[in-house]
Amino acid sequence: MYDNNVSLAIRNLLKDKTRLALSIGGIALAIMLILILDGFRAGMFRQITAYVDHSTGSIIVAQEGVNNLLGISSILPLGATSTVKKAEGVADAVPILSQFVILDLHGKKQPAYMVGYSPARGGGPWRLAAGREPSSDREVVFDRVLAERHEIQLGSTVEILDKDFTVVGLSDGTASWMTSFFFVRKTAAEDLLLAPGATSFLLVTIEDGIAPEVVRDRINRQSGVNASLKSDIAANDLKLFGRYFSAPIQLMSGIAFLVGTLVVGLVIYTATVERRREYGVLKAIGARNGLLYRVVATQALIAALSGTIIGVGLAFAVSEWIMAVRPQFLIVFESFNAAQTILIGLSMALIAALFPARMLAELAPAEVFRK
Amino acid sequence: MIRLAFRNLFQNRARLIISVGGVALSLLLILSLDAIFTGVEGQVTAYIDHSGADIFVSQAGVRNMHMASSSLPTSVETKVKAVPGVESVTPILYATNMIVVGEERNAAYVIGLPTTVKAGGAWIVSSGRSSPNKKGTIIDRGVAEKSGVGLGDEVEIFGEDFKVVGLSEGTASLFNSVAFISRDDFADSRDSASVVSFLLVKVKEGYSIESVAAQIESLVDDVTAQPRSEFAEQERKVIKDMSTDVIAMMNLIAFFIGLAVMALTVYVATHARRAEYGVLKALGARNTHLYFTVLIQALLSVILGFGVGLVFTLVLTIIAPLLSTSLALAISGESLIKVAAVSLIITGGSAILPIMQITGLDPAIVFRK
Repeated sequence: MYDNNVSLAIRNLLKDKTRLALSIGGIALAIMLILILDGFRAGMFRQITAYVDHSTGSIIVAQEGVNNLLGISSILPLGATSTVKKAEGVADAVPILSQFVILDLHGKKQPAYMVGYSPARGGGPWRLAAGREPSSDREVVFDRVLAERHEIQLGSTVEILDKDFTVVGLSDGTASWMTSFFFVRKTAAEDLLLAPGATSFLLVTIEDGIAPEVVRDRINRQSGVNASLKSDIAANDLKLFGRYFSAPIQLMSGIAFLVGTLVVGLVIYTATVERRREYGVLKAIGARNGLLYRVVATQALIAALSGTIIGVGLAFAVSEWIMAVRPQFLIVFESFNAAQTILIGLSMALIAALFPARMLAELAPAEVFRK
Repeated sequence: MIRLAFRNLFQNRARLIISVGGVALSLLLILSLDAIFTGVEGQVTAYIDHSGADIFVSQAGVRNMHMASSSLPTSVETKVKAVPGVESVTPILYATNMIVVGEERNAAYVIGLPTTVKAGGAWIVSSGRSSPNKKGTIIDRGVAEKSGVGLGDEVEIFGEDFKVVGLSEGTASLFNSVAFISRDDFADSRDSASVVSFLLVKVKEGYSIESVAAQIESLVDDVTAQPRSEFAEQERKVIKDMSTDVIAMMNLIAFFIGLAVMALTVYVATHARRAEYGVLKALGARNTHLYFTVLIQALLSVILGFGVGLVFTLVLTIIAPLLSTSLALAISGESLIKVAAVSLIITGGSAILPIMQITGLDPAIVFRK
């Protein structure tokens, strides 16, 4: 009986190959959109924590009340660096002065995260694609992707807060669609922000054999500072930015899901209407509704799963294309995405099969004899 | 032929609903994303628009507030005051920080206001004080409700406790809200007594705002002075430039989805009427007439889908602020024109397959059944 169901479902679907192709195409596009949106969010999250993930140390010390790195500005009290360094278990505390700035590049506003650091101590770019670190207060290491987008090369001059800087290095892994990183010497950042001696964060390395939580709690006993584990800072940044972007992405994923369901629904409904008489005959000769539901559901499943498989393939191909033409976008497919997508495809099929199934339930067996 | 298209379209209600619904949802993808970003553009300039300042003076090279930082020596205030045509100068301090209540943390533009506020304060205060006192803060009403605090309660800003002395309206966006504290408290928290972030300038009557701004730039070193409208435009441009690529990418995907849905529905509708089209052909109807019918049918579906998509988006613009005080959607004329153009392309594209189907249709088909 199972084989009969499947072969009947396949025959029904294959009766009009163009219609089947269009429906699978529609589902595939919807699945692709859902996957790309998820991948886009995952990539964005990875980009958001890039600096925290690659920076030196295991604890970040910020101004009291600040437990984010991005999005929130922090100015440590004067003298915080030396008191933190003295805390038991602290091996080193690297100061950075960081701030979002808006660059005007080729008439476009480009938010960028400026990190002022000391090349001798760390906190700067973790991977240089070309060039070197800044050795003077008018030199900058620019993100490679941002540089390429604006035809900036080694030796180019970039205006930052009305001052000219020479690009001496290009960094890798420091781009995102929203903002990119650039690195100057800490003294240059102090000059740009009119904040001599100011420090935003301390990147704290701890001595071997001591739990980071213990050192964090010790630092937090000092006034005016807030020490957090790097993993907590990363989680807080994700929470902050996730709040901005999760709602629009979920809204669009929801719409894509509805579109996919409608497409499967239309195809199965049309295929069922076309075969009304045949279904009526089956009913008249004693077939139960359960059997007919299974045929309809099998059709929906075949269409949805075919669309899902093609959609997954399309999502991979299109995301590669997007990342090639717009390298600031990072689209990451997590391992659970595949399982999630299959579930989405199955949900589409089941919801889409409801309407035709209801129609079959109401179909009078005698109808077949009236025509 | 138009009547035939109408009848074809409305003959099967379920198919009509699916086809119109599919197009509506695809267009909704484009419209809603545009509406989110247009809404954000409007929200990010709320402080600037309602500041009451005619000119914003900032550090040289700083042309907006969002994601920006500006530092000016306090001495600049006197220099700007001396420029002919300047009526008043209000120095403010500005930084992005958090309003913390227990585990609830909300990002906010923290504005440090002087004792006498001529510009830049809260513009609608629903309850409490209209300017912050020492260790007092005015926060957005929605943020206060979300955090479960009211007048007299304490919140943490810059890691220090502030008493809520006022609740403001219209000061929240998707990204953050605005919190007002006194300039002295701000300077104490940030060791920034020697700097201000922006100077909010009011211009005397009879003076041109643009020419006073130009005068400030020429007479005072290392500052950028922009009329309020220009400053707000720069702020909107930040959001626009950030979102252009994302919107273009999503629009392209939504376009293909809409095209696939429409192509499928018009194809299915035409296929179901193959016999009737065969009769028309057998009776001498020209292919061009039948193409026209298919096109009209597609166009009607798209027009209906466009209408429904627009209504959905309008409903979203009403519902979204009720669900979240920080989310405001706005439909722009530019977006409507874009979606209308996309709809027309979808109409043309979706009719291609059915037209091919009709072209290859044998009029004798009707006699075979």
